[in-house]
Amino acid sequence: MTILPLTQTSLDFSNEAITTKSLPSLLELKQQAISPSYAVANFYVNLVITLILLLVTLSVSFQPFYDLDNTAKNVFLYIACAIAIIGFIKTVYDAKADIRKFYALREQDISYTSGLIFKNTVSQPILRVQHVELKRGPIDRKIGLAKLQVFSAGGALHTFEIPGLLLEEAESIRQFILSHKDINHHG
Amino acid sequence: MDNSNNTDYDDQDISLASKHTESDTEHLSNEQDVNKWQRISPIAMAYFTIRFIYAIFSNIIYMAPAIVLGYKQILDNPHIWLPIALVAITLIAFGTFLSFYFFQYRLTDGHIEIRSGVFAKKYVNLPFTRIQNVKLEQPIYYRPFDYTCLQLDTAGSAKQEAKIVALKVNFAEQLKKEILASHKAIEIDELAGEIDSKTNDNTEQNSEELNTENEVVLNRRSLKDLIIHGLTNNRIWIFIGGLAPFFEQIGRGIVDFFNALGIDIEKLLTIADKPWWQIGLYALTLTFLVMLVISLISVAGSIISFYNYTLSKSSDRYIRRSGLLTKHEVTMRLSRLQMVVRQQDWLDLLLKRINLKFEQSNANLQNYQAGAHNNKIIVPSIKPAQCQTLIDDVYPSNKMMSITYQGISKHFLVRNIAYILLPIVLALTTLVILMDKAVALYVIIPVFSLLTVMVFFRWLRWGLATDENYLYIRKGMFGVDYHCFPRYKVQQTAFKQSWFLRKRQLASVQFVLAAGGQNIPFIPQQLAYQLIDHALFEVESSQKPWM
Repeated sequence: MTILPLTQTSLDFSNEAITTKSLPSLLELKQQAISPSYAVANFYVNLVITLILLLVTLSVSFQPFYDLDNTAKNVFLYIACAIAIIGFIKTVYDAKADIRKFYALREQDISYTSGLIFKNTVSQPILRVQHVELKRGPIDRKIGLAKLQVFSAGGALHTFEIPGLLLEEAESIRQFILSHKDINHHG
Repeated sequence: MDNSNNTDYDDQDISLASKHTESDTEHLSNEQDVNKWQRISPIAMAYFTIRFIYAIFSNIIYMAPAIVLGYKQILDNPHIWLPIALVAITLIAFGTFLSFYFFQYRLTDGHIEIRSGVFAKKYVNLPFTRIQNVKLEQPIYYRPFDYTCLQLDTAGSAKQEAKIVALKVNFAEQLKKEILASHKAIEIDELAGEIDSKTNDNTEQNSEELNTENEVVLNRRSLKDLIIHGLTNNRIWIFIGGLAPFFEQIGRGIVDFFNALGIDIEKLLTIADKPWWQIGLYALTLTFLVMLVISLISVAGSIISFYNYTLSKSSDRYIRRSGLLTKHEVTMRLSRLQMVVRQQDWLDLLLKRINLKFEQSNANLQNYQAGAHNNKIIVPSIKPAQCQTLIDDVYPSNKMMSITYQGISKHFLVRNIAYILLPIVLALTTLVILMDKAVALYVIIPVFSLLTVMVFFRWLRWGLATDENYLYIRKGMFGVDYHCFPRYKVQQTAFKQSWFLRKRQLASVQFVLAAGGQNIPFIPQQLAYQLIDHALFEVESSQKPWM
């Protein structure tokens, strides 16, 4: 444990004079795209889920075993329409949005940029990381991807999460975070 | 906290702690032999009984079908309630006794161990050094016997929390002091170790000195203050939380009460055949009545939670004590403070009163919703000068009230009024006119105007300011809240920008603290980048721990 004289550190850094112009800026982030296969996989997943839901609702309204009255049939048709429309929008939107997901690693922090209409760049100083997790669902495992979850004291609402990383990539980021010298001191 | 969590070091930490606490426990054991597993005082059965009964009532909704089904049978056999009540009482008594019997704790080598649970056994082992927060909670039925509950929080998961249900007050106080002292001892030891190991004896003396009671009371709240607080701030949820199991009965009781007075509420509220002014008058009277009742309840709630309020300070710790029925004591070390919030509702503005909140980490808030408000240190309804003194006490160089705040862009108004509210109102108006129900415009137009005014005030209030250490955010609507936090406490930042904002070179910023997220919308893009860059720089370069 290094108990630095805090006053000294704060004198070094809390100096407004080093105007923010000279600070490393988010604008100069070197953005790296997540794996393209994530977008492809997500597209098919969306498509299949929509089709399955459609199939279920339609088969309920057209099955020959139980006689539904007309209003019930209509309701199911409306639901089917809604599913089709929402599914279509989601599939198209995700396909467009997934290829605009980027992450950027700097010495001291990690950032993730996403969003088609609402662009959002979240930055997580590694110093404030509590722990790191790799998550891999069945599809991720099939195509060799992983999702990196980074937890800070900000609480569950603000868990930082990068999907669609190649497994080696995700593991090396995880290793980078874990071996970062600061996290050991102030975890 | 400055002690390291480096794994190599951890073991050493604990061994250091034990060095101190061995002697501590030794002198604690003069009173009770705490090194062996032992039960708490039988008075705890009162606590378990109440918890048991409360649990039953909170779950009454699941039993509702059974009760409804059985209702008729009970009516048919009125004497059945006697055996039922007997069985229930026996069950509760038996459950209580078992809970008490299986609750054991012991103190060893600077650890506290607790075993509890009748069917689901639970075992917690907490090293003193891991305990972040010690809270004393004294329910009213403990008071005559001088007992209290000791709640221990860790920074980690909720599973690691522990509550010793009944301890003698002075023993609990002593234990608390020792737990808190074990932090101090380590820090001092580490310092000493770095300078010279010989000075160890001196530092131990120092730590003794630090632990001695040198508490200063910073603030007290009188009954008058609490009444004002009750009126300006709805503390009604304290009641609602506690009364939730009894809602149905209360509703029925109210209707019966009015019936007894010869007033048939249902008839009164059938509005079909009454002129509109009469309905309006009813509505107004009813609103006033409801407001009156709510205010009274709210005052009661305020007194219940804040009776005998004191905020005191002992070296770097702030201690809040209050409570009429259950006495709460919350302790916060200055380093745990994440953000200061100075809150004023519109009524507070009129009366010139302020609610001051010292927010701590709420990472594990979800786990105890009801007690959540007990985790932060709130100073209810204080006067501006007192408020400033307290803020200056925690953040000496802050300029919360003297700095100039920069407002947010006018496009906030345009977006919310022109792009969101107006289209909705126009659509509704067309719909209403097409359906030939133009009367509804009497509702739509005032609501629209009110919302517009609200958006306007929201815009007017929202502002931010920065100085070399702190970030200040002002917001509110009819009231005004000031938030202030040191930049290095930031956990995470977010830069948000929609299409429309990008066209206008605007952006929104979010700073996530351990006490929750803070948003600043619609500021110039360049400023947004600067704020984030600066905050990240401060966090990463200063390396100061956030707690």
